[in-house]
Amino acid sequence: MRPNFFCGSSDHSLSRRAFLGAAAVGAAAFADMTQLSALAAPEPAKDLKKSQKRVILLWLAGGASQLETWDPKPGAATGGPFRAIPTDVPGTHICELMPEMAKRMKTTCVIRGLNTKNGDHGSAAKLMMRGRRDEASVKYPDLGAVLAREMGRVDSKVPDYVTFYSQTEGRNMAPGDSGFLGARFAPMELTTTNTPEFIKKLDGIDELDHQQRADLRELLSKQFAHGRQSNTLASHGEAYERVRGIMASESLFDIRKEPQKVRDRYGPTQFGEQALIARRLVEAGVPFVRVARAWWDSHGQNFETHQEMVPELDRIMATLIDDLKERGLSDDVMVITLAEFGRTPAINSSLGRDHFASAWSMTMTGGKAKGGAVWGKSDPKGNTVVDQEVNPANLFATIYKALGLNPHKSYSVGARPVPLVDPGAEPILQVIG
Amino acid sequence: MNFFIPLKTPNPDSLKLVKDFSRQPITFTIARVGSSAKCFLGSSDFKVTEADLGAAKFEPKELYAHGSYVTGVALAGKWLVSGAYDGKLTWWDTVANKVVRTLDAHDKWVRKVVASPDGKFVASVADDMACKVWDAATGKLVHDLRGHAEKTPTHFSSMLYAVAYSADGQYLATADKVGHVVVWDAAQGKQIAAVEAPIMYTWDPVQRRHSIGGVRSLAFSPDGNLLAVGGTGKINNIDHLEAKARIEVFDWRSKKQVAEFVTDKSQGLANRLAWAPDGSWLLAAGGAGEGFLAFLDVAGKKVLKQEKVSTHVHDFAITDDATSLVVVGHNKVISYKLG
Repeated sequence: MRPNFFCGSSDHSLSRRAFLGAAAVGAAAFADMTQLSALAAPEPAKDLKKSQKRVILLWLAGGASQLETWDPKPGAATGGPFRAIPTDVPGTHICELMPEMAKRMKTTCVIRGLNTKNGDHGSAAKLMMRGRRDEASVKYPDLGAVLAREMGRVDSKVPDYVTFYSQTEGRNMAPGDSGFLGARFAPMELTTTNTPEFIKKLDGIDELDHQQRADLRELLSKQFAHGRQSNTLASHGEAYERVRGIMASESLFDIRKEPQKVRDRYGPTQFGEQALIARRLVEAGVPFVRVARAWWDSHGQNFETHQEMVPELDRIMATLIDDLKERGLSDDVMVITLAEFGRTPAINSSLGRDHFASAWSMTMTGGKAKGGAVWGKSDPKGNTVVDQEVNPANLFATIYKALGLNPHKSYSVGARPVPLVDPGAEPILQVIG
Repeated sequence: MNFFIPLKTPNPDSLKLVKDFSRQPITFTIARVGSSAKCFLGSSDFKVTEADLGAAKFEPKELYAHGSYVTGVALAGKWLVSGAYDGKLTWWDTVANKVVRTLDAHDKWVRKVVASPDGKFVASVADDMACKVWDAATGKLVHDLRGHAEKTPTHFSSMLYAVAYSADGQYLATADKVGHVVVWDAAQGKQIAAVEAPIMYTWDPVQRRHSIGGVRSLAFSPDGNLLAVGGTGKINNIDHLEAKARIEVFDWRSKKQVAEFVTDKSQGLANRLAWAPDGSWLLAAGGAGEGFLAFLDVAGKKVLKQEKVSTHVHDFAITDDATSLVVVGHNKVISYKLG
């Protein structure tokens, strides 16, 4: 019998969660907990946890070109060779490399007015994973860690934050980072395989042995707990349960468990397989999955690179949207495409495009993002934002708001209240349904 | 019929720049009317233009426009046939000065258009992986040649970049992104040989997980026995065209590589190849951030001359006697003389 010393309020769940994480990840997490009170923030996201909002971030590492995806400039000297095609949203055109998404733009909100002022891969990747720059004394959590913190379920038996980054280029520039939230919300990172390497049961232990060990541990714990009342003891038991749950989640990473016709829809590429795993994970309750698709840094042969990579993105994104819809998950799972920056309108002599952060694009599909909305306008050559400019803080405020989260809530880091987004940053309400 | 007749060939060392014209669009392709100053250009502004290289002021005149980059222009008698990334081929009557025909020739980007030496046929290659041979006078499809895989081994769309006729018009060669080169019997439309140049294709499975390169140029030797294949070498960082340009020469009947060249002074793609009239040298041109010309002694397996060019060269036109050369590329049109 499990000791019951919780009143049932989710307020307590935060401290319990903290311990769970600490137990799972070791002493480092304890250090995090003792140094800041972020995990005891007074504002548990009750509604979010009920609705179980989740995010799949398609991270287009290296910087996909906005002109060859969401903001084409056909006929301009900077426009490149691709045509713009109409979509199911009257007046909205996207690059011809995305015919599948053109049929689904009613599901998707495009932000064309990003001006993020940072064209350096490393620092821009950090910026666009956090929506802000770190301070000397405060290391901010990235989007995945915040959403793991806000949307993870206390009783979850799945990881809260999973990130795939199989290519090596740029991987170290944008690692998952939980910042001041501590190791409890750090990601499970998959880089060399599509299946976590360290959650497997040892080969020398069979399932019966594994179960018997767990039963013995539980028996000893109960005996120890007899006559004692302690949050620590309860949380200790919960931590073991969670680890066992995560071990059991190994099958979520196995796409062989999907019907072949579903696998065929996502396609045979590594990106497709990882997107399918991401769908399996969010379906099982994982709050945040990042699938990094590197590497778009097309300084040479930009059009060849995008001709190769954009159709893959188009197919996978469209399939993901359809698949989530068919499973009734569209309202609760947001699919985001984002990168560290876009690419220059100017075409260099290697027929490449270079780094560009002054007028680029991203998308949000699902959650409360308003499908069919287009926000921001770049000039006819794509060099500047001429209307509805968006900075990283605005963007993250918008993402949080579209997930039903108050972007102005604060964590406490020591005695310092730290708002979720930079002070003064407002969400773009026009793109939130 | 044209037959191989050895001509006196100028020495590459005599190469001299004549004029250097700036032009805003990227010029991808050129067709020159004999050895005259008149030429036709296809460019990134989607336009086909006519230019007079001898005029006091270089002002290409627009003839008509495609729906995307114009990447191939070929003169077949009085017909100028252009191809573009819009998948279309357009016939321009150079005597009557009018468009006479536009065809939805290919499902994807047209990469190159060439005319047979006798001017009776035009061949186009495109990313639908088809080489289509057309009757130059009527626009009727003569052959639809399929010898290249639509997908790369890693499941991405391939590209069919290059096509060339032999000097006698008997053979046609085509080459794709992964380095597969096919030689066709031009009259029968039958594949008769294939050679491979896989080094010109780089698939990066680990760092960046996409590809770069491909065979970009082809040229039969004047006697038709050798086939030169141009592209780039294996690239470490595929963000850039950072490898040296690469040219391989095959005895295509025996499928044996007889020479390979790596331009030690020039990076990037070999976008265009042409043999000297007597076959004594092979000219390669291309580039990355900047361009190059390289004269190669195939028999001696040595580089005769390398010349930097102030533009990434996408194409050139060389007169039959090889005494005049016009290169086109990134924001430039440059003329040279030889001999």
